[in-house]
Amino acid sequence: MASLFSKNARIVLVRRIKGFWEEFRTKKVGLFGLGLLLVYVFFALTAQWLTPYDPMSQPRLAQSYAMPEWVTLFPQYRDYVKTREWPFNWEIQSGDKFVTGWGSTVNIAFNTATPAEVKLVNKVDFQQIAPNEFFSKFRYEAANIQNAEYSLTLEFITPNGTRYRFWTSPTSSEDEAEDVNLDSKNPIFILGLGFPLQRNVGRAIFDLKGEYTFGMMVQYRPLSSSAHSEVVIKEAKLVTMGQVHGILGTDYLAKDIFTGLIYGARMSLTIGLLAAIVGTSIGIFVGVASGYLGGYVDEIAMRIVDILICLPLLPLLLALVYLYGRNVFYIVVFIAVFGWQGLARIIRAQTLSIREAAYIDTARASGAGGFYIMLRHIVPNIIPVAFASMVLAVPGAILFEAALSFLGFGDPSVPTWGMMLQHAFSFGGFTHLAWWWIIPPGLAIIGLCLAFVFIGYAFDEIVNPRLRRRR
Amino acid sequence: MRDYLVKRIIVSLLVLWIVASLNFIIFQVVSPINPVDTFAPSSLDIEPGQLERLRDVFGMNDPLHIRYLKYTRNMFTFEFGISFISRRPVVEEIAQRLPATVLLLGSATIAVILVGVPLGILAASKRGSKLDVTAIGAGLFTYGVPVFYIQLLFMLALSYYIRIFPVRGLYSIPAPTNPFTFMGDVAWHIALPVLTLVVGGFGGWALYTRNVLLDALTQDYIVTARAKGLSERTVLYRHAFRSTLPPIVTIIALSIPGIITGAMITEYIFTLPGIGRWYLDALTQADYPVLQTVLFLYAILTIICNLIADLLYGVLDPRIRVGMRR
Repeated sequence: MASLFSKNARIVLVRRIKGFWEEFRTKKVGLFGLGLLLVYVFFALTAQWLTPYDPMSQPRLAQSYAMPEWVTLFPQYRDYVKTREWPFNWEIQSGDKFVTGWGSTVNIAFNTATPAEVKLVNKVDFQQIAPNEFFSKFRYEAANIQNAEYSLTLEFITPNGTRYRFWTSPTSSEDEAEDVNLDSKNPIFILGLGFPLQRNVGRAIFDLKGEYTFGMMVQYRPLSSSAHSEVVIKEAKLVTMGQVHGILGTDYLAKDIFTGLIYGARMSLTIGLLAAIVGTSIGIFVGVASGYLGGYVDEIAMRIVDILICLPLLPLLLALVYLYGRNVFYIVVFIAVFGWQGLARIIRAQTLSIREAAYIDTARASGAGGFYIMLRHIVPNIIPVAFASMVLAVPGAILFEAALSFLGFGDPSVPTWGMMLQHAFSFGGFTHLAWWWIIPPGLAIIGLCLAFVFIGYAFDEIVNPRLRRRR
Repeated sequence: MRDYLVKRIIVSLLVLWIVASLNFIIFQVVSPINPVDTFAPSSLDIEPGQLERLRDVFGMNDPLHIRYLKYTRNMFTFEFGISFISRRPVVEEIAQRLPATVLLLGSATIAVILVGVPLGILAASKRGSKLDVTAIGAGLFTYGVPVFYIQLLFMLALSYYIRIFPVRGLYSIPAPTNPFTFMGDVAWHIALPVLTLVVGGFGGWALYTRNVLLDALTQDYIVTARAKGLSERTVLYRHAFRSTLPPIVTIIALSIPGIITGAMITEYIFTLPGIGRWYLDALTQADYPVLQTVLFLYAILTIICNLIADLLYGVLDPRIRVGMRR
C-alpha cells in the first residue's frame, strides 16, 4: 500500500487513520466488537499451547459423549469421574520359583522337564461408579522357546467372585511378542464374555465397589527333557474411561471438544477474512473500473452483476463443492467469487459521483491517465466504504462456510464449527442430549460474527454520515 | 412503461439463458463425474455394449454443441427428464415435493413479516427508546446468528429435552385419515420449523423497516407536515409510512429466493420432504437431472422475483412511475 501513495499522501493517510480511530473510540459497540475479536484472535494464535491434543486425530480420551468435568459440581453428576489409568503391579500367587523378577514387569523362566504354571494376580481397589467404557492392555514376549509349549490366560474376578475369562492365548511353541488390547467396545470381546452385543460391558462387570482381581495364568508344557521357555509380561494396565473430561467434554469419537472449538476459531477467522478480502477486492476493482470507464466495460460488468444476483448461491455452491472437491481453498474461492456483486454496485455508484468532482477534472486536465486517476484519486476515496463493507462481509462468509459444513459439504480435513455441529446432528449428539457438544460451536460462530457485525456497524456510522445519530 | 417492461423481460430471459448455460457447463462439460457411471455403477457388472447403449440413450455420444442445444431446448420447454435414482419423471417428483416447501415457506414468510415489520415501525416511531434498541439488537443479531443453530437449539430443547414437538417429518406415520386431524398433525409438525424461522428472521425485517422509516422521517415533507401542526400519528402513518411501502414490498420480493434456498437447511434439519431436502439428497447421489432442474427453477424464481420487485417499485412509487413513463 505504501508505494501506492506519495509521501504527502501517506501523511494524510496516517492522519486520516488517526482521526478514524479517534472517532471509532467513541463507539461503544465498535469497541466491544473489537475486544471480542481480539479474544478470538488470541485463541486462534495460541491454539496449540492452549490444548495438548491435535484437533484431527486424538487417542480416546474418555468415553464417547463424556460431559465436561465441571458438571461434577452439580449434585446429580457428583459421582462422575475422569478417565483413570490403573497400572498393574503383579503379585505372585503360585509358581514363584520360576519368576525371576516381578512388579510392573514380570520375567518368567521355565526350564523343568515337568509341566508347570505361574499364577500372577493384580488387585484393583475400585471405589467409583461403573465406567461405561474401559480397556485393558498388556504386552507379552515369549523368547528362547525350546521344545516346549506355553499358553497365557487372563481372568477377571469381581468382588462377589464372578469370574470372566478376558483373554486366552493360543497354545504355542514359538517365540512371540504381542500387544494385547481388550476393549469393552470390541464386539468380539463382548461376545467372548458371553454378553449380548448391545450390553454395556463396563457397567455390567464393574457394578460393585470393592476389590477386583486380574489373574494371569502362564502354563508351560515341556515336549522333551531339555525344554526351556522364557515369558515376559509388561506394560499391563486397566483404563476406565471417564464420564467427564476436560473443559467441554468429548464427542462421539471421544475427541476433546474444547480442542475442536479453539482450532475452529483459527479456521473460521482465516476463511472469513480471506473470502471477504478477495471478494471485496474484486468488488472494488469491478466497481471502480465500471464506474470510471463507463461504456462497454460498465455494461458488461453490470450484466455480470445482474447474472450473479440471479444465481441461487447456496445450492450452486453446494453443487460446485460436491463436484470439485470438499477443499477449504475452493470453498473460500467460491464464496469470494460469488459474493462481490452487491459491493460492486455500491462502489460503482460512489465512483460515478467522485468522477464528477472538480479535482478529477483538474487531474485529467494536467495529463493524468485513467489508471493513475483511478488508483490515486478514486480508490483512496472509496476505501472507507469498502472497508466497512469488507468487515460486514466477514460474518457473511463465516456463516456461509458454517452452513456448507453443517450440510456436510465442508472440508473434512480441517476442524470447523459447522462440521462440529454437523457431527453433533448426525452422530447422536441429540439423542445423548449432549448440550456440551451442540451449544459451544454455535456460540463461537455467533460471537465471532457479532464481533465483526459490531465493528462494521461502528464503521458504517463513521463513514456513512447519514446514519449518524442526531443526538 | 410497456417499453420498460419488454426490455426487462428480454434481459431476464437472457440472464436465464446464461444461468442455464452455466448449469450445462458445471454439470456436463467440466464435471469430473460421469452421469452414466451414476446411473449404472460399475458394481452392477454391466456389459460394455450395454454401457455404450446407455451412453447413446443419454446422448453422451453426441458432440458437445448438439448436447448443448438439446439441453437448452429441454430446459426451456420444461422437459426435465428422469431422475437417476427414483427413475421417475422429475416434474412428477417436483409436484410431489412442492407442497411441503410452499407450506413451510409461505407460513414462515408471512409470520416473520407480521412480526418484523410492525416491530420496525414501532421502533422507528419511538426512536432511542428501549423498544428501538431491542429492534436494532435483534436486527444485528440476525446478521451474526446462523438460523440453523437457532433451529438446533429449539430442537434440542423442545423435541429432545421436553418432547412436545416431533423430531422429523411433515406428518405422523401412519398419517391420520381424518382430514382435520391430518391438518392438525401437519400444523404440529411444521410449528417448530416455522417458529425458528421467525425467531431467526424477524430482527432483520424490523431493522430494515426501522431504517427505511427513519429515512423517510428525515425528509423535508415530514418537516412540512409537522410544521403544519399535524399530529404525530398522522405524520407517521399517512405521510412517512406511505413512502416506506415500495422499499419494503421490494425487499419482500427480493428476499423470497434467499428464503427458499435457505429453507434447504430447515428441511434438512427437520427432515421435511420438500424441494431443498430433495436437492441435497440428489447431490449426494449425483442425480444430475434433479440437480439441473432444481438449480434452473431456483434461477427462474430469482429472476421472476427480481422482475416483480422492479415493477412493484415502479407501481408503488409515483416518482419512479413518472420516470419510467419518460
